[in-house]
Amino acid sequence: MTASEPEKQAGKTGETLPVHETPRGNVLVIAEQIMGELQPVSLELIGAASILAGKLGTKVLCLIMGYKLGDIPQRLVAHGADTVYVADHPELALYRTLPYRRVVTDLLESMPEPPHVALLGSTTTGRDLAPRIAAHFETGLTADCTELDIGPYEHKSKIDPTKLGLYPDCLYAIRPSFGESLKARILGPWKNPQMATTRPGVMVPLPADPARQGKIIEVPVNLKLEDFRLQVIDVVREVASGLKLTEAEVIIAGGYGMGNAEGFNLLRQLAGCFDHSAIAASRKVVDLGWIPYEHQVGQTGKTVRPKLYIACGISGAIQHRVGMSKSATIIAINKDPDAPVFKFAHHGIVGDVYQVIPELIKQFEKAKQGVESVVHSH
Amino acid sequence: MPSPYDIFVLVKQVPDQSSKAGINPDGTIDRAKAKRMLNPFDRYALQAALHTKRTYGGRVTAISMGPPLAVEILMEALEHGVDRCVLLSDRRLAASDTLATAYALHKVVRWCGNFDMIFCGLQTTDGDTAQVGPQIAERLGLPQVTYCEDFAIEDGKAKARRIIEGGTQLISSELPLLITVANSYHQLEYKSFRGAWKVQWLQRHPEELSKLVSTVDLDTIGAEPERCGLKGSPTIVAHTDKVGEIGGNCKMYEGQSIPDMVTELIKSTNIKEFVQTK
Repeated sequence: MTASEPEKQAGKTGETLPVHETPRGNVLVIAEQIMGELQPVSLELIGAASILAGKLGTKVLCLIMGYKLGDIPQRLVAHGADTVYVADHPELALYRTLPYRRVVTDLLESMPEPPHVALLGSTTTGRDLAPRIAAHFETGLTADCTELDIGPYEHKSKIDPTKLGLYPDCLYAIRPSFGESLKARILGPWKNPQMATTRPGVMVPLPADPARQGKIIEVPVNLKLEDFRLQVIDVVREVASGLKLTEAEVIIAGGYGMGNAEGFNLLRQLAGCFDHSAIAASRKVVDLGWIPYEHQVGQTGKTVRPKLYIACGISGAIQHRVGMSKSATIIAINKDPDAPVFKFAHHGIVGDVYQVIPELIKQFEKAKQGVESVVHSH
Repeated sequence: MPSPYDIFVLVKQVPDQSSKAGINPDGTIDRAKAKRMLNPFDRYALQAALHTKRTYGGRVTAISMGPPLAVEILMEALEHGVDRCVLLSDRRLAASDTLATAYALHKVVRWCGNFDMIFCGLQTTDGDTAQVGPQIAERLGLPQVTYCEDFAIEDGKAKARRIIEGGTQLISSELPLLITVANSYHQLEYKSFRGAWKVQWLQRHPEELSKLVSTVDLDTIGAEPERCGLKGSPTIVAHTDKVGEIGGNCKMYEGQSIPDMVTELIKSTNIKEFVQTK
C-alpha cells in the first residue's frame, strides 16, 4: 500500500527520519439516509471533509447508498461534495450491514488509490458499518471524534522499524480519552484510508450553494448471495414523545449524584417549571439503566446547545462536557465543591440536589403566584 | 427438541470509574491501582447469552482478553451460570487498538470451536468505540446485529430488534451470527446461590477449576504476534492535550442556606426568562 513505502530519504545521517511523502488523496464521506431522508450528519461530515480536503489540496468525495434517492446527490454537491458516487438499488432501500459493506468495499477497491481519509457519522448505522470497512482494509478507525485536522507526525518509536518516519499529512482524529480530562490525538498514517466517525451535531455543515457543480457517478451494485443472510422484516419509526433533546431551550440533566432512577422524577418536576424543556442524563446513569439512552448527552450520546443547561449531580467528566459545553448558560448543582463540573459551569451551587432542586421549584412557584397576584390587582 | 446451541459471550474487565481509587491528581488513570469491574455493557451480553441458553438449550462460553487478573470477571461469569471460560492473556497484546484486539479475539473464537452465536457488549466503558464486535464479525465473515435490544430464535433463525436512528428495525438472520447487545436489553439477573456455591467449591478444587477455565496465549491460539499489540495496531495515541478550562470563572454559591443560595442564583442569572408563567 502507498503510505508505508518511503519515497524519499531525508538524509543519510542516522538521526534523520525518512520522510513519507505520499500523494495526497481525496477525502471520502460515506453519507447516510434513512427511508429517503438524508441525515444531517452527512452534511456536517462534508463540511468537515471540505476543510480537510482544503488543507490537502484534494477533493471531497461522497458515497450515498439507498433506493430512489431523488435529489439527494445534488444536495450533497450543493453542500460541498465534488464527486458523488450513487448506489441506487432496491436491495439498498433499508440499511443492512452486509449489502452496504459490499458496495463500500467494491467502490474503494475499484479506485486506483484509496482515499486519504474516510469519514462516517457516529450513528447506529455508521458505528455498524465503519468498523467492518476498517477491518476489511486493515486500516485505523477512530470513533466519536470531536475534532478533525490534517498535520505532520514524526514516528520515532523503534518498536516497529517499518513505521519509523515523518508523515507530513496525517489525519488528526481527536477525541476525549477515557475518564480523563485529556484529549487524545489518534493517528494512523501508515495506511489509507485513515478513518474516523463523528457524532451528529459536532461538525458544522457548509451553507447550500445550488449553483455548485459536481460530478455524479452511478456505481454498480453487485451483491452476493452471502450478503442476504440477514433480512429486515420491519422498521418501526418512533413517534417522538415530548420535545426532542436537541431542540429544547432548557435542559435539566441528571447524573449519578441523583442516587437512583426515582431521582429523575424530581428532575421532571423541575423541567415542568420551564417551557420547551427536556431531560438529559450522563452516560453513567444510562449505563445503570436509570433512564433510556435517548436522553444521554456527551461524547457517546447527543450534542446539545440549549439556552440553559442545569446539571444536577453530574460530576462533569470530559465525555459529558463535550456534549453540552456550548450551552449558553450552564448551572451546576453538586455537593462536591471539587467536582470538575464547576470548572466549566457558569454558576455553581454547592449543595445536595435533594435540597436545592425543591427550593428552586418552590421559588419558581412563588414567583409565578407573585405574577398572578400582580395581574389580579389590576 | 431444538438442538443445543453453542453460545459465546465476549467480556472485558475495565477500571471502575465510580471509584476514586487509582485516579491520579492530574485526572489520568493508574490502571494498576484502579478498582476493576466487568464492563457494564457486557452484563447485558451475558444476560442475552444465558437467557438464550436457558430458553433454547446449549452451552455458554465466556471469552476475555486481558491481564491474568481479568480471570476475576470470568469467575463472575461462572457464578452467573456460564459453562466454561477462556482467557487470552499475553504481554504481546499490550497497546492493541481495536483492529489488533479484534484480530486476537477472532483467533480465540476460532480456537474455541464451533458456535452459533457470539454476544458482545455494545461497547466498553474504557474504550467507548463500539468497534471490536463488528470487526470480529468482519474477520469471521459473519452477519451482525448491533444495538440489539431483543433476541429470540425461531425456526433455527435469529429474530432480533435493533435500535436505529429514531426507531427500531426487526431483523431475521441465519446463524452463526454476532450480536452486540444494547443497554436497553434486560438487566443481568442476580447470581444464583448455586452458581456462587459452585464457584466457591471450584476455587477449593483447582484441578476441577482448570477444566472449566483455560488461559491461553498467542501461541496456543495460533495468532501472529506481528498482528497484535503495538505492532499490529494501525493507530496510535500520538499526543494528549489537557482540556482547557472553558468558562473557567464559575460563580460559586456555597456556605449559605439553601434558600439564600437559590434566591441569589435566580437573581444573578436569566433563568427566570424560561420559567413558565402560566
